[in-house]
Amino acid sequence: MIRLRVYLLLSGILFSIGVAGVTTSRNVLKILLSLELLLAASNLSFVAFSRFNGDYTGQLIVFFVILVAAAEVAIGLAIIVLMYRHFSTIQADALKDLKW
Amino acid sequence: MSSFFFYLFATVLIFASLAVVLARNPLYNVLALVVVIFSLASLFMLLEAFFVGIILLLVYAGAVLVFFLFVVMCLNLNAPTFTTIEQSRFRSLGWLMGLTFLTEFFLAVKSFLAAQAIEPSSIRGTIEIIGKILFTDYLLPFELTSLLLLIAVFGIVSLAKGALKT
Amino acid sequence: MVNPLFAWITLFSPLAACVVITLFFLRSKTTSAFIAIAGIFISFVCCVLLFGQIFQTPASPAGGNSPVEFQQSLPWIQLDSLTIDFGILVNPLAIMMLLVVTGVGSAIFIYSQGYMAEDPSIPRFFAYLSLFAFSMIGIVLSNNFIQLFIFWELVGLSSYLLIGFWYEKPSAADAGVKAFVVNRAADFGFLCGILLLWSISGVGNARSFLFTDLARVVPHLDPHLLTVVGLLIFCGVIGKSAQVPLHVWLPDAMEGPTPVSALIHAATMVAAGIYLLARTFFIFEPLTTVLTVIAYTGAITAFLAATLAIVENDIKRILAYSTLSQLGLMVMALGLGGPLQGMYHLTTHAFFKALLFLAAGSVIYALHHEQNIWKMQGLLKQMPITGITFLIGTLALCGIFPLSGFWSKDEILALASEHNNLLYWVATLTSGLTAFYMGRLLWIAFWGKASTSSHDHPVHESPSVMTIPLVFLAVLSVTGGFLGIPHFLYPRAEHPSLNISVALISSVVAILGLAVSYIIYSKRPALDPLGTKLGIIYPILKNKYYFDTVYGWYVDRVQQGFAMVLFWVEEIFIVRFGVHGLTDIAKASGNVLRRLQTGLVQFYALVFVLGVVYLFFVMVTRL
Repeated sequence: MIRLRVYLLLSGILFSIGVAGVTTSRNVLKILLSLELLLAASNLSFVAFSRFNGDYTGQLIVFFVILVAAAEVAIGLAIIVLMYRHFSTIQADALKDLKW
Repeated sequence: MSSFFFYLFATVLIFASLAVVLARNPLYNVLALVVVIFSLASLFMLLEAFFVGIILLLVYAGAVLVFFLFVVMCLNLNAPTFTTIEQSRFRSLGWLMGLTFLTEFFLAVKSFLAAQAIEPSSIRGTIEIIGKILFTDYLLPFELTSLLLLIAVFGIVSLAKGALKT
Repeated sequence: MVNPLFAWITLFSPLAACVVITLFFLRSKTTSAFIAIAGIFISFVCCVLLFGQIFQTPASPAGGNSPVEFQQSLPWIQLDSLTIDFGILVNPLAIMMLLVVTGVGSAIFIYSQGYMAEDPSIPRFFAYLSLFAFSMIGIVLSNNFIQLFIFWELVGLSSYLLIGFWYEKPSAADAGVKAFVVNRAADFGFLCGILLLWSISGVGNARSFLFTDLARVVPHLDPHLLTVVGLLIFCGVIGKSAQVPLHVWLPDAMEGPTPVSALIHAATMVAAGIYLLARTFFIFEPLTTVLTVIAYTGAITAFLAATLAIVENDIKRILAYSTLSQLGLMVMALGLGGPLQGMYHLTTHAFFKALLFLAAGSVIYALHHEQNIWKMQGLLKQMPITGITFLIGTLALCGIFPLSGFWSKDEILALASEHNNLLYWVATLTSGLTAFYMGRLLWIAFWGKASTSSHDHPVHESPSVMTIPLVFLAVLSVTGGFLGIPHFLYPRAEHPSLNISVALISSVVAILGLAVSYIIYSKRPALDPLGTKLGIIYPILKNKYYFDTVYGWYVDRVQQGFAMVLFWVEEIFIVRFGVHGLTDIAKASGNVLRRLQTGLVQFYALVFVLGVVYLFFVMVTRL
């Protein structure tokens, strides 16, 4: 019987990998994908808590998170496409017009 | 029995997520994320959260990741030019951050549930039950999300159109 | 009964005049003069009324030399352990002084209207004069040390403004600064004395600045501390009344207009020191050491100044040194334990010294601002009123019977002869020298035939707006001895009958001085024969005993050196390290910190994550 701790730990591992991905990725697509990992990790912990506390609220939150993540990814991808059109590359370093 | 499946899916999950971060080819990244979503959905099923599991598959794997694949294919991002991009300069710091986070998380969890194990309750996130709550207690957020999606569509269309004009 | 309202009006009337002139009438010459004269005249009238009231009040059985004393004060600053009042203390001494200040002041204000008539800045002049009158009356009426000190400084300020009235002239501006700085140095000692006295006058709340409180407490205080207090307060007197060694500002103060010299540097301000000593004599009475110091300082000043006067050729400077000399005599009188004698001579001196200065001003005005006595000749015949009044003033100053100066100077000499033989002879010798140099002035400038060789313009008498005050003061100089001033001031003190031997000796010495000067100067030698007769002493006198040289060296080398050191400290520490240092730090940190703005989104995400990690860390370890 799997205890809550394990689920939370798993969620933590997923989150850490996502964090590492966001900060070390070379191209923006991978950054976006790592963001999805982060969201997935929190989804997992929400569901785990919901199951173990006997409250449906967690699952409902997951529902909404998925919805919003979909919208966010859509816009993010649109921006990546624009970026590719402008810079001909999807490297994160290309976006440095705000440099001092 | 269920613990075996749990460990199976958990392992797949971890390796797939590592693949998302470490793979070179963007196509592999996306496909690895698909695997992540699938294993996550399985874990949800194990937790008897059927509704969110199905939704995860339908929306995430079915729509979002397909969209990702669209973009990868359209822009031909799996070409060799993209797979040989130089390293990010914050590589080591980023991994360090990840590791630190993991350690902290570990410590947090350890102290949090050190006292006693919590028994899983017997709730089952079936479609009927979730649906009923969704349409009664959470009706307003439900309707508002449709509005949110509409606005997202507006945003994407105007972004794409603006780029077309130039 | 004494009505204090008159005293308050006396105090504030000149201030009102000053404010009104400054705010509204700085362009109108005649109106400002009228306002100023009105201001001081109102004060004078109120003084006379006060005088009348005191005269009618019978002497109270309470002890002390001043039977009628009236005090009224408002608490001004009230802290836990410190109370400073703003108030007036009216007694015969104060009334006497007020009558002198406002009476002589009114005469001089009227005179100024004529003397300064051609000056374009005459409104500013009258504003300053009114300010001075206010400050001087404030000194006279103050009932506590702090208020007195405030007015003391105000008087110094007015003096600075008036000495340097013609500020375009560098010598005038310098003289103003010199007067102020010398006074400031003395006032430092004065303030220390005031504060020391306050701190020992009681415990906690019982400490007071009020004269009446201190008079009660002083007999019970430690005499050693009181000696220090007395010496420090005397410092202030040394500065304000121009005693040696801080006398150097008074001759230079003659750069100011002549009415200023008459009012401030002869009759009133310089006498403030003596007035202070008389007012607070209860502090000094038991302190024999301090009194000795005071007496000797006065005597030295008197003699020194008299010796310096004999080699001067500027009419105002001669009178300035004469003032110094007489002030020295007054201070000496106070040092010998005679506030009565000192104040008596102060009053008569105010009369004839103001007269002398105004007459000199009349001469200067008529000769179109010529001040060298060798360029004047036979003025008595050309300007009769001026000449006669000047003669009266001179005779009063020399102490010739029966003019006022005779009576007051004799009181001082009699006091000296009783207490200290050395000082008595010094004072007598000084009187002889006084007669000598005043005679010298008389014979050179006023005697003999009128000569028009040095001037193309004919010399005639000054307008009556100037000569009437002269006559007024001359009358006072003549009758001053018979007004019963000592009885008014100190009704209780014993008045010894006239000391015949002292009177005879002083008269003989005076006549001798006049005679000797007549012999030397009446025939108008081409060069001053003193130059050859005095030999080595002459250059010493000409250089004013090198006081100015020494002070100049001190200021130039020592003080400026110190100032340069401080300047460099400021340059290096404060400016370079402090100010520039701060700006350099800002610039350097800006240079470093701007590298954070990489423009890379990933970097921002990294920083973001860093924050989250830290936050999580805090939560994990605290929980």
